[in-house]
Amino acid sequence: MKEARRRENIAGYIFMAPSLLFFLGFVIFPMGMCLVTSFFNYTMTDFSFVGLNNYKEMFGDPIFSKALVNTIIIVVVSVPVTCMFSLWVASIIFKMRPLNTSFFRCVFYLPVVTGSVAVTVVWKWIFNNYTGVLNYLFKSLGIISKNMNWLGDPSTALWCIITILLTTSVGQPIVLYVSALSNVDHSLTEAASVDGATNMQVFWRIKWPQIMPTTLYILVITTINSFQCFALIQLLTSGGPNNSTQTIMYYIYYQAFKLNRYGYGSAMGIILAIIIAVFSAIQFRLAKTDNG
Amino acid sequence: MSAIQKADLPSRMKKRSPETDTTDHSVHALTPYRVLSIAFLIFLTILFIFPLYWIVTGSFKTQQVINARVPVWFPLNPTVGNYERLFQKPAFTWLFNTVLLCAAAMGLTCVSAAMGGYALAKKNFRGRTFLFSLFVCAMALPKQVILIPLLKEMAFLKLHNTLWAVILPTVGWPFGVFLMKQFSEGIPNEMLEAARIDGAGEARTFIDIILPMIKPGIGALAIFTFITAWNDYFLQLIMLNDTKVLTISLGIAKLQSELSTDYGLIMAGAALGSIPIIIIFLLFQKFFTRGITMGAVKG
Amino acid sequence: MKKLLALLLCLMLMIPAFALADGVEITLWTYPIGSWTDDATVASLIADFNAAYPDIKVNVQFLDYQSGDDQVTTAIEAKTTPDVIFEGPERLVANWGAAGKMLDLSDLFETEEGKTIYETVSGSCKGADGKYYEYPLCMTTHCMVINKKAFEAADAMKYINEETRTWTTEDFENACRALTEAGFTPVTGIVYCGGQGGDQGTRALVYNLYSGTFTDETFTTYTMDSEANIKGLQKLYDMVQEGIMTVDPGIVAGDAISLFCNGTASMCFCWNAALETNNKDTLAENVEPYAVAFPSDDGVPTLDGGIWGFGIFDNGDEARANAAKEFIKFMCNDATQAPKSVYATGYFATRAIGDIYTGTEKEANAAYDAFSPYFGGYYQIAPNWAAQRTAWWNLLQRVFASGNVADEVAVYMTEANAK
Repeated sequence: MKEARRRENIAGYIFMAPSLLFFLGFVIFPMGMCLVTSFFNYTMTDFSFVGLNNYKEMFGDPIFSKALVNTIIIVVVSVPVTCMFSLWVASIIFKMRPLNTSFFRCVFYLPVVTGSVAVTVVWKWIFNNYTGVLNYLFKSLGIISKNMNWLGDPSTALWCIITILLTTSVGQPIVLYVSALSNVDHSLTEAASVDGATNMQVFWRIKWPQIMPTTLYILVITTINSFQCFALIQLLTSGGPNNSTQTIMYYIYYQAFKLNRYGYGSAMGIILAIIIAVFSAIQFRLAKTDNG
Repeated sequence: MSAIQKADLPSRMKKRSPETDTTDHSVHALTPYRVLSIAFLIFLTILFIFPLYWIVTGSFKTQQVINARVPVWFPLNPTVGNYERLFQKPAFTWLFNTVLLCAAAMGLTCVSAAMGGYALAKKNFRGRTFLFSLFVCAMALPKQVILIPLLKEMAFLKLHNTLWAVILPTVGWPFGVFLMKQFSEGIPNEMLEAARIDGAGEARTFIDIILPMIKPGIGALAIFTFITAWNDYFLQLIMLNDTKVLTISLGIAKLQSELSTDYGLIMAGAALGSIPIIIIFLLFQKFFTRGITMGAVKG
Repeated sequence: MKKLLALLLCLMLMIPAFALADGVEITLWTYPIGSWTDDATVASLIADFNAAYPDIKVNVQFLDYQSGDDQVTTAIEAKTTPDVIFEGPERLVANWGAAGKMLDLSDLFETEEGKTIYETVSGSCKGADGKYYEYPLCMTTHCMVINKKAFEAADAMKYINEETRTWTTEDFENACRALTEAGFTPVTGIVYCGGQGGDQGTRALVYNLYSGTFTDETFTTYTMDSEANIKGLQKLYDMVQEGIMTVDPGIVAGDAISLFCNGTASMCFCWNAALETNNKDTLAENVEPYAVAFPSDDGVPTLDGGIWGFGIFDNGDEARANAAKEFIKFMCNDATQAPKSVYATGYFATRAIGDIYTGTEKEANAAYDAFSPYFGGYYQIAPNWAAQRTAWWNLLQRVFASGNVADEVAVYMTEANAK
């Protein structure tokens, strides 16, 4: 028995070895180093222990709080919107003829395969204050009377970024929902309709529970996606105007690369990591109990 | 093939695929809601295709046309000047680097994640729960968090400014292991039991029994990793410096310079960077969608 | 499929082999300075060098101002810095030099040619520790540009002294008013502040309006909170409120230049000789660039300058460092090569080598020498420069958003003068 247990252990570790090597080597080890350097005043010329000073400074740093708020806005807005939007699109297109379904699936998946940088640069041009097609279009349609500075106005810039983020993140969820909806047990929905249930009731009572696992999976990947929207910020606004699109991800990069304050950047990284770990843990709990 | 059916793995997938189903449609009459929805859908379609259209047409416009205050919807006097200027730079090298990088990241991830996922799902080794929690917590971690130590580490390993510096952390990212664990859990224990009784060793079991059963999962992961690596601008940005090792995304980003915004050139770069993968996507559309769907089979 | 993958992986393994071989192979990183951003131009300059030094191979890498600094920072941290880098003192001296990453180039200043470099220039190439971290090749003054056709249409040329190419703050304001009324272009000028790109223009605009200065005389403290400077910012804010000036927190100088060239704006606050050359082909029909100095209340401007030259990163390899020095000496000191190197930048030499533009394609550049007497000193080597630059464009964004000039400047002062 003990022998079997030992063999199981060894086999387990051998199978784990390759992924563990990469994971520990290039994720966990740097993470540990990040924790260590967060206690140092670490710049291009200096490396001295400062205890919790970086953390203290961070909580007094107004830009950090702004970045934190923006990061949360991005995640809290884009995750549910992406989910609902994709569910809606999927619910329309899954009933169509197969060719049409795949056509629409492709359309919505297009921005994903176009690549984040290519998408970002073209949107930058579309949003351009003077030569952008958006202003021209809105002006011709009489929606706005004079050119809007979409990316240059603190009240619109973040929403522009979220919009672009949405177009690049709905592709996968739509594909997932289409297949989940097509696989909903048909006899149940039919029976319910016969019993006089409305479409809405059929959806919430019967379909929604059945596509729940898909929804949870989508929540996970969309959250990951939203936390990664670095290229958008860097290439479109550099965190401006007036820090209205500043996110923690960009601010870390900024502190490290523009001001060479590696220690301070690391401290922010640690806080971000904690927030995200908590986020993931909650999501995972939810997934567990619901599957349960 | 038969292995999949035997395992009854994609239990939620086994029902009718939408492609073979036609009876259902007649039920949905053209209600006003449906008409409106479809109209809106068509509007969205335009919205989603437009950026791509704008990239392609923009790449054939001259600087004057691009800067015109009234947008020119279609370049009536197309120019290839933008492409000529683009190819003065090593654009094909960038494209080649990107493909190389994505392929390597994809291959390594699939191998290591398939093994790791299987172990986490089916091997009852000590520390399993702890390791799995670690993977889950790290899953959504943005790479910005560890950028500085990672940079130092790559410098120490003398890998900075090589594609490896991007590949290794991509492979280390825990999502793959997580996904493969979910897949491997669908394998019935009886099959492993049977294999053991037949006297198959660990390696044999993995290659002959597990691999065929999680093949769809590997396909899903392969596509996912490829696209993630393709889009992972950040890691490329901090790890690659030399013109010779740039990727196409970086190349495009670097076409924007401080004292001029040459949209024609940038669009040409964007077209070069996106058209090949779009063509691949359209050709293998079925595999893409199937792969993606597979990923969600286990929530 | 598997075989293909295996093949790809094998190919991958070969990539590290691309790493630089030792020996005399040096790497040059160059920021976009004039035509030093153009493959063909730089290749021909290097070909000249190789004709004289066939044993030294030079690899070139072009940086841009958007991501160039990040690239150098990663390279420093990853210890993959190039040998030679071509930029100005604010980076070579005040940043990387001060951080101890650069080699002392004092011996180059001991050469015959090195001794003839203008003193104001060589002084800016020297760090606080007395070591020289940059060997200068060229210099220029930054000015602004107006669209002569737009000004003529608005009858506004009378506000500019065409002999000296200067104007007063009052003239400037009147010209903007006239331009707005005439409506020849949609906007007059654009105060861009979406990032640090081309911020020398907005800086000079602000501090010249009431003859302030950007730093104190010793280039150690920023002085944006002086009465003159606050008045200048207020004036700009008022002009924006009046609708005769535009502010755009979404763009940087590059976009502003494009907007000038396509006839959207009648003036641009970022301009110099090289920009005139580089943008020749992008001008719309109704645009005729005419360089002018920044307006100031007394009509005597103080202009920002640019000094560009070479620095050598300390890579601990003497052979490469020596090769790098030979390269710099050849580019800057060689009697036939130096004019060519300078000509490629479109600027002016940092020692007397005579007129190099008259009778060439870049004939127009010669006119820009007229601004040289207004050069006000190279304050960009002031401490905390990189942080200050970010603070600056953020200040502009806040000022134009809130109009609360004094308070916003106070915030800027703490950020800029920190540490």
